[in-house]
Amino acid sequence: MKPFDIVIVGGGGAGLYAAMEAMKTNAGLNIAVISKIYPNRSHTSAAQGGANAALANKAKDDTVEMHIFDTIKGSDYLADQDAVEVLCSEAPKIIRELENMGTPWSRLDDKTIAQRPFGGAGRPRCCYCADKTGHTILQTLYEQCLRKGVQFFNEYFALDLSVDGSRSKGLIALNVKTGKIEAFPAKTVIFATGGYAKMYWNRSSNAAGNTGDGQAIAYRAGIPLKDMEFVQFHPTGLRKSGLLVTEGARGEGGYLVNALGERFMSRYAPEKMELGPRDLVSRSLETEILEGRGFDSPAGKYLHLDLRHLGADLIKSRLPQIREMCMYFEGVDPIEEPIPVRPTAHYSMGGIDTDNYGRTVMEGVYAAGECGCVSVHGANRLGGNSLLDILVFGRIAGRAAAEEAGKFDPSPIRDVEILGKELELRSFMQPSGHYERYGTLREELGHTLGQNVGIYREASKISKGIEDLAALKERFSHVRVFDTSDVYNTNLIQVLELRNMLDLAETVAAGALVREESRGSHTRTDFPTRDDDNWHRHTTYTLEKGAPRLGFKPVTMGRYELQERTY
Amino acid sequence: MTDSTIQHNEDKRDVTFRVHRFNPQVDSKPYFDDYTIKLEKGITVLRALNYIKEHVDPSLTFRAFCQAGICGSCAMRINNMSKLACTTQVWDELEKSREPDVIKVEPLRNLPLIKDLVVEMDPLVGKMQQYSNWVDSKMPEEQWGRKEFLVSEEEFLKYDKATDCILCASCVSECTILRANREYVSPAILLKSYRMNVDNRDASHEERLAGLVKDHGVWDCTHCYRCQESCVKHIPIMDAIHGIREDALESRGVKDTSGARHAEAFMEDIEKKGKLVEATLPIRTNGLAWTLRNLLPMAFKMVIKRRTPPPPPLVKSTKGIDAFRAEFREMSGHVAKDHEKKSGE
Ligand SMILES: Cc1cc2nc3c(=O)[nH]c(=O)nc-3n(C[C@H](O)[C@H](O)[C@H](O)COP(=O)(O)OP(=O)(O)OC[C@H]3O[C@@H](n4cnc5c(N)ncnc54)[C@H](O)[C@@H]3O)c2cc1C
Ligand code: SF4
Ligand code: SF4
Ligand code: FES
Repeated sequence: MKPFDIVIVGGGGAGLYAAMEAMKTNAGLNIAVISKIYPNRSHTSAAQGGANAALANKAKDDTVEMHIFDTIKGSDYLADQDAVEVLCSEAPKIIRELENMGTPWSRLDDKTIAQRPFGGAGRPRCCYCADKTGHTILQTLYEQCLRKGVQFFNEYFALDLSVDGSRSKGLIALNVKTGKIEAFPAKTVIFATGGYAKMYWNRSSNAAGNTGDGQAIAYRAGIPLKDMEFVQFHPTGLRKSGLLVTEGARGEGGYLVNALGERFMSRYAPEKMELGPRDLVSRSLETEILEGRGFDSPAGKYLHLDLRHLGADLIKSRLPQIREMCMYFEGVDPIEEPIPVRPTAHYSMGGIDTDNYGRTVMEGVYAAGECGCVSVHGANRLGGNSLLDILVFGRIAGRAAAEEAGKFDPSPIRDVEILGKELELRSFMQPSGHYERYGTLREELGHTLGQNVGIYREASKISKGIEDLAALKERFSHVRVFDTSDVYNTNLIQVLELRNMLDLAETVAAGALVREESRGSHTRTDFPTRDDDNWHRHTTYTLEKGAPRLGFKPVTMGRYELQERTY
Repeated sequence: MTDSTIQHNEDKRDVTFRVHRFNPQVDSKPYFDDYTIKLEKGITVLRALNYIKEHVDPSLTFRAFCQAGICGSCAMRINNMSKLACTTQVWDELEKSREPDVIKVEPLRNLPLIKDLVVEMDPLVGKMQQYSNWVDSKMPEEQWGRKEFLVSEEEFLKYDKATDCILCASCVSECTILRANREYVSPAILLKSYRMNVDNRDASHEERLAGLVKDHGVWDCTHCYRCQESCVKHIPIMDAIHGIREDALESRGVKDTSGARHAEAFMEDIEKKGKLVEATLPIRTNGLAWTLRNLLPMAFKMVIKRRTPPPPPLVKSTKGIDAFRAEFREMSGHVAKDHEKKSGE
């Protein structure tokens, strides 16, 4: 089989932009996009808010420079300043490019792309299309890829890289519809598989498949991960599903109330109350729950977001979507009952360690989007910067891979490698005396992470989490796949996803334990302040003898000196 | 807290999910499995299916991803209607069940079955390609990224609603024509085509339209409104279908055979009554035999469910019909000429 020039793993915003750009760089290349779901279903479609770019359509005095500063400050100074500069200076161009290819955008009176204010940004620079920005961007990119004739392998689940010494030979993937394991020999591979925040399971706003597959594959192949301990939480996720109730509900005057009936925000932000910054509100909810003032339910402890005093008319006219969501997903009508909420894991700042071109340490392997870590978000991502990240660095990785693809001819992927994978997957189906249910392990994984490596962290709790993870890994070796059919075996897929999450969870916990400071999303109650002398550096994780080996990398500085982060 | 405990108990019920099963490797034909589980109020059908998969039968197969009504993965037929499992509350469905406490769950129709509740989506992607469901930008690619097209909010609103589509294929599953003819373009594809056609940044309007008026295209639609009624995003799909038809008549006249016949029937209706007589449209377009063979069995079912468009005598002329007719005659002048040419051949 002739090798592909580029195999892109993932059909979200990052993967599709990489594919478009690679074809633009060299139309003669043989490119494959492999995705475990149809690309248009990728989690990029969940982004409602928008994408940041200093177009200066709305605020005429906005500049790329200001965007750079906001991003660095938002990252709690852990972002690499050269990478941020690339991100922000490419932003206006890439948003216009998207516009030129047909992405729908809401418009201002002067017919230019509409922009709105977003948390942590000094100017209204978040470009949007109503409340469906990610969806419309993803649709447009998918349509354009179809137009250009990009080869899609939909419903293929990437299993592992095939490696030859220091170089990748391509990818091995499972064809979900047939159950066949197939080789994708490739000169270059780009990982664009999205985030890993779903490891918090029911305490996550993410899609079921945001299980960090690409990061886990890279990690198993010996490629380092970076800054994995940084996971962003959103204050108001629905109790049962973790889905987001957007800030709009509090913006219109909703109250946060504990089991004693108190508006508890008066303790933490007496002036701003419910409208304090996201991380502060998240921490306040968590404190209430930890100190026993939450409600109890089989689905876990929670608090109330009460909108009833706003009245049926206001709720119907101003918050129809939030109301609909509560009714659809929680069975609660906010006109009649308070909404059960708790903080929810939302975004993963960490990922595969790359340089500014998306290159990893392994020759021929790239990463982009939420699965990569350049890093432009550092310890805390700003709203609207992630869509931008996936577009800008998806494109850069696509171009870089296209330029490299010509220079290398990989040796073929051997049949025994495929056979080995087949045996590995079959072994999950072999009956053994004692077995474990993957569903139970998955829930326990989310629970221990939420409890011990969640919003508040401290050495003793994290250590408990690490013990739990080791026990879960042991139990995982007894997990059995009961569905033995080849065709569309979602039982098998979910087990493989769980394995990936377990591998990555170890790095998250290890990083949380070693980083003895509080920075951005990482809050250690035993080390409550930022410690630039010791911890102004990235953490890296390399798999060695079945466990993460920690390393450190300096942060690339530039024009901006370290400052305290206050708003 | 006794109050809330009682409340809690009352809100639990035994619910039976009667689920369509089929594994092509072992089953010669599909069958149904009953799963009875105790559920509390506030649970979605998708959560119930997840529960069954995790605790009762791990081989039960369905698609789901976002669990938030945005990715379009989990569309299936629940109590005989295509919808998203993740946005459907079990308690609401129980009110619609024919058999008490039983909810029927089946795969989407009109797409090839793969396993249990999973159907093949490739045919739909194929149609997106066939009908060029993308913006073919007026701006050459080398110039992209330099400056924006200026688009007024008004122009944006023309395609705003259509871009809500999440390609869940619920409408495809409910479409009357697709049940008779799988080659039919499909409501979601018509919607997307329309969205591209009204985008003033697009350069391929004519070519796309030419494809849409061919066989199995826009003229085959019976205006049964089922697609619109089933759309999970409440998109007015029929506006798109009417939009394409009006556009086709305006900018092309009628050049294609099946379309021509359909268009004539269409125009005759409008001219006489200022409104479509949808019940007779398929007969006049496709001929009596075709209609009897393909649509009548369904029409009977539809009558039972009171879904058919009103039969001809009930359709009243719309107001202002005289002015409309005058305009219409003028507009259709070239169609008549077209027709003359054809009969002269
Ligand atoms: C509720 C919510 C709201 C958000 N709102 C915003 C916002 O307003 N602004 C903003 O900037 N960001 C927002 N974000 C973040 C942003 O949406 C994501 O970070 C971004 O879309 C990730 O894009 P991606 O291309 O990296 O990955 P994804 O879109 O997640 O795509 C991943 C792709 O990889 C594929 N894949 C994964 N594993 C495998 C495998 N094993 N084999 C084959 N294929 C695989 C999947 O099929 C998928 O196609 C939001 C996130 C959430 C959860
Ligand atoms: S109105 Fe037309 S497209 Fe819609 S379901 Fe009926 S026949 Fe199909
Ligand atoms: S038009 Fe509506 S029902 Fe049809 S695919 Fe799109 S969202 Fe689904
Ligand atoms: S799972 Fe995404 S729409 Fe239901």
